[in-house]
Amino acid sequence: MKMLRFAIMTLLSLLLGTQAHAQAQPTHIKPALIAESVVPAAGGIVTLALAMKPDRGWHGYWKNPGDAGITPEFNWTLPAGVTAADAEYPVPHRLMLAGLMNYVYEGDYAHLITLTLPAGLAKGTKLPIQLAADWLACTDQVCVPESGTMAIELVVGDGTIDAGRKGQFDRWRALLPRPLGSEGRFEVAGGNFRLGVPLPASATLGEVYFFPLTDGAIDYAAPQTVRRDGDMLTIEVKAAGAAGELKVIDGVLALDKDKGLALKALPGKVSAAGAIVGPADTGRMEGAGGLAGTLLASFGAALLGGLLLNIMPCVFPILSLKALSLARSGGHETAARREALAYTAGIVLVCVGLGAALLGLRAGGSAAGWAFQLQDPRVILFLLLLVSAVAFNLAGLFDFASLGFGNRLAAQGGTTGAFWTGALAAFVATPCTGPFMGVALGAALVLPPIAALTIFAGLGLGLALPFLALGFIPALRKRLPKPGAWMERFQRILSIPMFVTALGLAWILGRQAGVDGMAMGLAAALVLGLALWWIGRRQSHGDGRNWLALAPAAAVAMAMILTVSPAPKASAGAPAAGILAAEPFSEARLAALQQEGRPVFVYFTADWCLSCKVNEKAAIQRQEVADAFAARRVAVLVGDWTDGDPVIGRFIESHGRSGVPLYLFYKPGGAPEILPQVLTPERLTALAV
Amino acid sequence: MKMWIGGTLAAAAFALAMPVIAGQATGAKAGNFRVNDATGKVIELEQFRGKTVVLEWNNPGCPFVQKHYTSGNMQNTQAAARKDGVVWLTINSGAPGKQGYMTGPEALKFVKEQKSNASYYLLDPKGVVGKGYGAKTTPQMFIIDKTGTLVYQGGIDDKATAKVADIASATNYVTAALSEMKAGKAVSIRESRPYGCSVKYSDVS
Repeated sequence: MKMLRFAIMTLLSLLLGTQAHAQAQPTHIKPALIAESVVPAAGGIVTLALAMKPDRGWHGYWKNPGDAGITPEFNWTLPAGVTAADAEYPVPHRLMLAGLMNYVYEGDYAHLITLTLPAGLAKGTKLPIQLAADWLACTDQVCVPESGTMAIELVVGDGTIDAGRKGQFDRWRALLPRPLGSEGRFEVAGGNFRLGVPLPASATLGEVYFFPLTDGAIDYAAPQTVRRDGDMLTIEVKAAGAAGELKVIDGVLALDKDKGLALKALPGKVSAAGAIVGPADTGRMEGAGGLAGTLLASFGAALLGGLLLNIMPCVFPILSLKALSLARSGGHETAARREALAYTAGIVLVCVGLGAALLGLRAGGSAAGWAFQLQDPRVILFLLLLVSAVAFNLAGLFDFASLGFGNRLAAQGGTTGAFWTGALAAFVATPCTGPFMGVALGAALVLPPIAALTIFAGLGLGLALPFLALGFIPALRKRLPKPGAWMERFQRILSIPMFVTALGLAWILGRQAGVDGMAMGLAAALVLGLALWWIGRRQSHGDGRNWLALAPAAAVAMAMILTVSPAPKASAGAPAAGILAAEPFSEARLAALQQEGRPVFVYFTADWCLSCKVNEKAAIQRQEVADAFAARRVAVLVGDWTDGDPVIGRFIESHGRSGVPLYLFYKPGGAPEILPQVLTPERLTALAV
Repeated sequence: MKMWIGGTLAAAAFALAMPVIAGQATGAKAGNFRVNDATGKVIELEQFRGKTVVLEWNNPGCPFVQKHYTSGNMQNTQAAARKDGVVWLTINSGAPGKQGYMTGPEALKFVKEQKSNASYYLLDPKGVVGKGYGAKTTPQMFIIDKTGTLVYQGGIDDKATAKVADIASATNYVTAALSEMKAGKAVSIRESRPYGCSVKYSDVS
């Protein structure tokens, strides 16, 4: 049966053709009319796409074209009873040409149109659909009005949608603005237009821009200032002449490229308060002067913090060793400088590298903090082994200098060695940064990326400063004690802070990977110690090249590193970590829960939806609700629509809503009850009776 | 400095630098300007004080301008206005190298071929007048009354398309405003959204 239907479908689509290209002369933007389903059901809806492919260098226009251009026009010829909704436009882009603003699409784009079919059409009824479209195609130099007539034929059927086509339509849907749900306010004062949009303070922002649909509100070419004050986002821009007379303004607030919220704003008071959001970053800053000040202060704090790190148990031995080696090298002026610079480069590069990785992770939406790499037990285990090896070396178990590496280090003035020592120092130092660096690094995370990296570089520079001073100031170097037998004793003493560091790392490993993980780590350290001891024995017999002994130890260590995994945490994994335990929404999970005969509460939310967040705080994530739900075994599913997941979007639409919030309650075996958009704990507890 | 004073040629030396496209307020005194016409004659707005003046932004390469010229709509509007003593200034603010830029002789050829009924065809290759008036599209229209007050700015009509067929059913804002002014009435639609190609200003401001 399934096969048969598939065969018929394939045949149908082959016969009918599922898309129609414009005939006549070639255009600079090539249109194609495509139906999501060629066999729509009677009484249902079907989405059509007018897919537009501009030639290279050409662009098409948004509904509001901006300073010049025209709105595309769509004229439908439809069978009786079939109606077409207004074409939907994806979030546009900005194109400034010689001082004039154009709201355009420079790449492929698609208008989506919903057709509604009347009920009572017999299956197999042919529905010829014709669209005559007019649009303007422009380059940065010329404009050409273009038009196309496209026809497709649908056949009334069961509404089946081909999976590949559904994927394509979902990608187009993801580019449409999502309805914000709540209304904005606008105010025209002092020649400026100010728009206030309720948006949760936690919503992440990219390149924010307000595209007005209503003409005559703003000067399109004027720069827009974006501010954020708690749950309110404001846009301020030069007003157009008659903006004060407008009664309502429609538009799309782009939160980032290709991501936007459709909103309506009414006249009202809009506060000018709030921190200015940078034009191309997610962070906030206190205006340009404030930024420079913040940057300078944070850089200073980072420098000082880095300097202090030198006396931390994890760093001091390494620094001391470098200083001693410098003293040993006899104070060759150029060699000392080169070594100091290489050491600094090693430290700064590692700090900036870690900082960049951190910013990258945060930009990717993860809530990483400084020393994020220490959240992974494998990294901790690696560090534990590294620090143990350094400590064993300091304790005299084996000799680093007899390493081929060490010999070269001496021979070459140690530039490479100094670089890696610096890198090691910076890497090992990260666990000690916390207490000193909190403020500066906290600032770094909200500054624009370049400024943030400057702060990380400052931390590295501070860490490298003492050695840099030794390298460049011969007088300081002269004050280093003369090399002698005491150095060996000093080295042995330095092994103690290094062992303490190893102990600390073992403890962290235990916290992260449990007792088993810690025991594994210590076992690996033991194997490593034995191997190093054996090497040391060989070294003392004059055979300094036998590093093969390390191979089994390295293999064991590697195996441990690969197997150690974080211990399961008591309460993690809930998407909305709160009082109410919720699972991520999926239609399959919902069906399964209903199958079990459990009542289900489903809620849909998005990071940019303020009313969602308010409801969650005030009504949903409440102890009394959690208790009531637990008593009646009410399952909770949460759907996150922040990124416009089309599956969730379709589900929401099928419940007669265009966006979030949406609250549904499924009684066992019953149809869902759509709850009001403003919830109270009482309303929710009453459900579980 | 409410009055905006611009100019080219002789006046260029002390013309205000206008990097941003500013504009004129409807109901306020229209800024004066002085530019060359296609024959090289210096034309100043002030010299037409006492007469109604229509400004029409033009780019012969723009399909929206062509819509109104090939149909004869623009020429008819010009002729009707001129019959009532209105001064009609067609202005080209296209920069050299851009679409629609014309030298004097080329502009005269355009005027002749299109049977334009404008009083003068003005050349504004630096875009000083265009930016001063906030001209954004071609075509874009401005009407200045006998006292020098700007009484209308916007599109030629209310059908923002490139199709000639739409002209018949469109409301011509310029004709409407001029007939209201002739009847001694206030202009009812003082502003509208202009539509068409962007004015091809120079990229360097």
